[in-house]
Amino acid sequence: MQGFALYPFDPPGDIAALRADLRAWLAVNQPQGDVVAQANCWASFDAGFSRALGAAGYVGMTLPVRYGGGDRHPLERYVVIEELLAAGAPVGAHWIADRQTGPLILRYGSEEQRERYLPGIAKGELYACIGLSEPGAGSDLAAVRTTARETPDGWRINGQKIWTTGAHFSHIMLALVRTEEGSERNAGLSQLLIDLDTPGITIRPIIDMAGHHDFNEVFFDDVLVPHGALVGERGQGWKQVTAELGLERSGPERYLSSHALLVALIDAAGPDPAPELATLIGELTAEMWALRQLSMSTAAKLAAGEDPMVEASVVKELGNAFEQDMPRRVQAIVDSGWDDEDDLAKLLRALLIASPSFSLRGGTREVIRGIIARGLGLR
Amino acid sequence: MSAAREMLCDTARAVFAEAVTAGIAPVEEAGFGLLLVPETENGFGGDWGDVNAVLQIAGVVVPDLPVAELIAGEALQPAATVSLMAGAMGQALSLSIDHVNTRQQFGRPLGKFQAVQQSLAVMACEVRAVEAAAAALASRLDAVRLDVIAADFEIAAAKLRANRAVGVVAAIAHQVHGAIGFTEEYDLHRVTVPLMRWRGAHGNDAFWAARLGRQVAALGGRGLWKAMTARGA
Ligand SMILES: Cc1cc2nc3c(=O)[nH]c(=O)nc-3n(C[C@H](O)[C@H](O)[C@H](O)COP(=O)(O)OP(=O)(O)OC[C@H]3O[C@@H](n4cnc5c(N)ncnc54)[C@H](O)[C@@H]3O)c2cc1C
Repeated sequence: MQGFALYPFDPPGDIAALRADLRAWLAVNQPQGDVVAQANCWASFDAGFSRALGAAGYVGMTLPVRYGGGDRHPLERYVVIEELLAAGAPVGAHWIADRQTGPLILRYGSEEQRERYLPGIAKGELYACIGLSEPGAGSDLAAVRTTARETPDGWRINGQKIWTTGAHFSHIMLALVRTEEGSERNAGLSQLLIDLDTPGITIRPIIDMAGHHDFNEVFFDDVLVPHGALVGERGQGWKQVTAELGLERSGPERYLSSHALLVALIDAAGPDPAPELATLIGELTAEMWALRQLSMSTAAKLAAGEDPMVEASVVKELGNAFEQDMPRRVQAIVDSGWDDEDDLAKLLRALLIASPSFSLRGGTREVIRGIIARGLGLR
Repeated sequence: MSAAREMLCDTARAVFAEAVTAGIAPVEEAGFGLLLVPETENGFGGDWGDVNAVLQIAGVVVPDLPVAELIAGEALQPAATVSLMAGAMGQALSLSIDHVNTRQQFGRPLGKFQAVQQSLAVMACEVRAVEAAAAALASRLDAVRLDVIAADFEIAAAKLRANRAVGVVAAIAHQVHGAIGFTEEYDLHRVTVPLMRWRGAHGNDAFWAARLGRQVAALGGRGLWKAMTARGA
């Protein structure tokens, strides 16, 4: 641990220009009005915005040109997503496809899968969801029971996924299923890419405590998908999934989801803030700044082909704590009525209610701390 | 780390080890006061990245000697203290990991207990954050050639972040050590007591939070992000 240095964040090209162009584009194209949609904005669905963003070249940026991508460096993409999140842009529709499904198809997928799915992803028109959790498999993901049996006609799938964010608007699901009969725990699992309009699939909404329909239950009743739905190697699903989870933990969304609230707080405090407001703004800023350094360094390591599993978990743990702490601390010192209609009050209410999920989605706090502890050489 | 910096650190470790009993004299004689002096003026020609590395070692080995004062002027002391703190926190973490992996209770090492693991994970996150803050502050200071006005945002953010980590790091380190960590003989207090002192030195939490908060308030809500990105990457 000692002597930990920041990995240099050195994207190629003119990054200042990349930011300036995107900010100018957002000034014209970002929907205005709903301030609450700016908070936790990677859950805000807006198909029109996603399509426009794709047409402007800001989706699927790192995918090769031959699949409709931009052949850009991963750190250029990083800069673009931190700008989108800081602006509170509604990136929810294409978020998962852009962040993880696209790169995973590129890495493990067959040529047929790449040609079939990547161009739509890069256009910001093809959406994906992640089928990991099941009623009996939450933190204990190796308890997955949904099966896929190989038949002469293809894979026959039976079982159920749950908490699947965006299944109701997604075109495809990347599912972790048990392909080897009699296998246990993390052996015998594979990843299948499933078209969600296949007969036998039922998607039922689960309304969350904010009253939103974001996640779902997905039932598979003798669903037949082609042999070509297998992604990567049969039986290697566990390995592929853990690599994928590493990718999703350290991004700027882990500390910028609630940026809209900090913006509103600063604006409400004004240029000459009361002492307790200045203190709060200072403390939140220091934390955000430190998190940004950690997140950028981790992204640079990932881009260099390393596997910073522990660093990525540190970003998630600290980022979740920061974003859960922020609305609580704002509420503790700002005099704001629960039903007030000003921006600060609306954001505060929305984030107080949304924030319990931050340390659940993408791996719970306890699971993340376990990964860090293992990295420290405990266990 | 560059080869030159590796060598510098090796020298620092050797000289500081001597200084534990001999006091600051060997550190002065070894020329650490010339670390930031340009080569053209017969100095070492080092940058703040070098200072950060050297002070992280000083924070562990000779926390009570005025090494930071020898190397840098008054205006840079808050930044120097962040490096000392990062070093001391790294050491508190190492001691804690070693301890829980060797000390046995209930028939197994403490590190096998999930409650202990989770505490150390929390501590490691704080240590990582402070190490990152020290490193990011160093790159900023080097980018602006040690102009503390140009690096005011980073100095405030880094010192404040380090201050806030002290409570968590010292508390968990002592908790997992049990009584042995509370003895004069055991090394833990050699880093935790300096950490307590450094939190209040060169600006406590309230001082830097107010300063940074007022600076950010003047930028306006959207201005914060613009300023942060304009200052680096
Ligand atoms: C908003 C949201 C979106 C989500 N989106 C998706 C999605 O798109 N796709 C998907 O597959 N899943 C999704 N999930 C599910 C998420 O991955 C799970 O909620 C998570 O893995 C935890 O599983 P669980 O809810 O069954 O909780 P449980 O595993 O039952 O855990 C409950 C509590 O017990 C703790 N716990 C469990 N085991 C241990 C242990 N061994 N030691 C210590 N503590 C333990 C947990 O940390 C947690 O605090 C989403 C969840 C949320 C909240």
